[in-house]
Amino acid sequence: MLTARQRRRSRWSGGRRFALLAVLPTTIILVALSIFPLLYSLGISFTDKQLLSLVPARFIGLGNYAELFQDSLFWSSLAVTAAFAASVLTVQLGVGLALALALHRLPRYQQFLATLLLIPSIISSSVASFQWRSLFDYSSGPLNFFLGALHLPLLTWTADPRLALPSLLLVDFWQWTPFVTLLLLAGLHALPAPVFEAARVDGSTGWQLLRYQTLPLLRRVIAITVILRLIGAFKVFDIIYVLTAGGPGSATESLAFYNYVQGFRYFSIGYSAAMSYVSVILVIVLARVILRYMERPVGRAAAPAPTAEAAA
Amino acid sequence: MPVRPISRRRFLKGTAQAGAAIAMGGAVTSFLEACSATPKASGAAASASGTVNVEIDEGQNASPFQWFNPDMKAKFGATTNIIGLPFVGQYEKIVAEMVTRSSIYDVLVFPPQMIGDFVSNGFLTPLADLGSESDFNLSDVLPAYRDPNLRRNGKLYAAAYDGDILQIAYRTDVFQAAGITQPPQTWDDFVSIAKELHKPPTQYGNAFLAQRGFCYAWFMNIFAALGGKWFTTDMKPAINTDQGVQALQTLVTLAQYAPPNILQIGYQELNEAYLNGSTAMVVQWDDLALKAEDPSQSKVVGKNAYAPCPVRNYMPYSRVMAVSAFSKNQANAYKVIQYMDSSEVSIKDVYDPKCGEDPFRLSHLDPTKVKDHLGNPSMPAAQAQSYVSAIKTCLTTGYPELSIPGAPRYLDILDLFVSEALAGSLTPTQALTQAANEWDSITTSLGQDSQVKAYADWVNTFHSAGITY
Repeated sequence: MLTARQRRRSRWSGGRRFALLAVLPTTIILVALSIFPLLYSLGISFTDKQLLSLVPARFIGLGNYAELFQDSLFWSSLAVTAAFAASVLTVQLGVGLALALALHRLPRYQQFLATLLLIPSIISSSVASFQWRSLFDYSSGPLNFFLGALHLPLLTWTADPRLALPSLLLVDFWQWTPFVTLLLLAGLHALPAPVFEAARVDGSTGWQLLRYQTLPLLRRVIAITVILRLIGAFKVFDIIYVLTAGGPGSATESLAFYNYVQGFRYFSIGYSAAMSYVSVILVIVLARVILRYMERPVGRAAAPAPTAEAAA
Repeated sequence: MPVRPISRRRFLKGTAQAGAAIAMGGAVTSFLEACSATPKASGAAASASGTVNVEIDEGQNASPFQWFNPDMKAKFGATTNIIGLPFVGQYEKIVAEMVTRSSIYDVLVFPPQMIGDFVSNGFLTPLADLGSESDFNLSDVLPAYRDPNLRRNGKLYAAAYDGDILQIAYRTDVFQAAGITQPPQTWDDFVSIAKELHKPPTQYGNAFLAQRGFCYAWFMNIFAALGGKWFTTDMKPAINTDQGVQALQTLVTLAQYAPPNILQIGYQELNEAYLNGSTAMVVQWDDLALKAEDPSQSKVVGKNAYAPCPVRNYMPYSRVMAVSAFSKNQANAYKVIQYMDSSEVSIKDVYDPKCGEDPFRLSHLDPTKVKDHLGNPSMPAAQAQSYVSAIKTCLTTGYPELSIPGAPRYLDILDLFVSEALAGSLTPTQALTQAANEWDSITTSLGQDSQVKAYADWVNTFHSAGITY
């Protein structure tokens, strides 16, 4: 029977002590650089703190959150962000999947083409945006040059309130669809081949294979891809900053850009912190919805897994 | 490898000691920072270095500091290192550094609209604390660019670097061909001429800066002519008045007689629109004239004349130089400012087509001095005469840019809603009503009473300088 002193000593002995010491530096860094700022900013979001005001900050409870929901610019920036998110969920995912499937079927040059696809994603968004600024230029940009050559009307890409947002979506599509393609391609490579062989033996058509085998088995990869890009859509900032500065008017002001304006141009720190928390909550809720949707049973689609194991 | 056991007591003792050491280190660092941030200071004597870090909006406006580095080195042993910031976005980047009491900048070059915030938050050291006001030959600085831009609470915080004002540049050949004998005298005239000369896609009637970031200034230029003011004396916004709506409607109308990408036109694009010969007249900062007469930049050399804007001329931006309160090289920073501001040096850059500085001293207003920094004439004598004469007239009708605490924020909000009206998302009335509501919120958040006083003080500096407001 161990005495109390021995029990205490045993808790601090050997591997346990070493393990605690090993995680201590990481824990300290995590607390100092992540947990504390997170809690601090949460506290600030309940105040009217202004960085350059001579008036001291006051506790205003949920005042910033209430004001946020009455702020028309917040809602318009949320609509811009929703457009980016919708583009991710539809165009980028659809085209990315189609490209991944096409690459997956290629007998040769698959790795070479996959490497080429990496290029847009590894270019800094700011640099890419400056390149696109040249491409969009009304009088000397190549896009309008080609339109002119085809006797089509020239477009004011980022200067027209109706075109500015689609132009930004085009840049985002160019940069991130290859990334989506690569993630899905990796997912396709990981699918169990015997499942598909068995299905083919059973006489499945190409469409049936895609609908009832590939997509259900790829659901988790699709979910991760969508969540990653959804987070990207909520963070989109650099291409807006370089290409439109949120204009014309507020036509391209995303949630992240509006938050930057409030926090770092107007230095309304309390209001900006509240907006950050609303963004985080939105992303978490959306991610949760996507994960639940992807994890739900899908009837016939759920069946292939055991069949695949049996076939193997 | 065997792990050497340590007792819990020893572990706790060690942790406590480490914690105490970190806390002490933090306290010592804070103390040292506080000492180094003491104005005048300590800073200058503590670690004076031959290199002075100059914050300025990057590009052509930084060039003069580099041109004169060898001379500064020879005269007082210091050279400058330029830290360029983007033109739009400069304010937030300066503030982000200064609120952390960073000593990264020794000299700050910024537009006076920011001086209210910088002084009230203790970012600048009064120049007299480092030398004497007489070092800056203030009687030679044009009144519009002197006290309103350089002083706060009676103290001189900055020296002038650039005097900005909007003026009209127009194509004499195009005007003559259309039988138009003089530049527009009213804004209705301006609209009529723009409409008459608008023959797209080969020639556009006019152009102005309509991109987000500075389009408010072109609205203010018209608003000023109609008798508009920023605020009432009790700080109620005065932009959402009949004059405001009329001014914004005029700007929206002018966009119809401008290049199709007008909402994309910023400073560079506006210069290009005129210099490439596609636009008959523009309202632009006065340095456009220098570029228009420079064959390496312009297709319209010798075909231009310059005129004041109808009734009033808005004075957007300008640049002043100040010493950072957190600089550790204040003595040399002061010398650099004194050197660059001097009549002898500044005359070499305010007429150089390769930079964007504009005249701000009485001694600058001499057509025979319109030369680049190497002493070559910047334009033919006739154009120089027209250019300097237009500046002189403009200055008599100059309209001040807001520079009270919070000014960058008031201006950015106004810019957003002017942009909304230009984009057609809101009517001029809606846009200005929303802007005024936002202005009220800013005033409340900054403190109504202090803002009323700051505005009254600011208006007084203009009245003292003999400027109608």
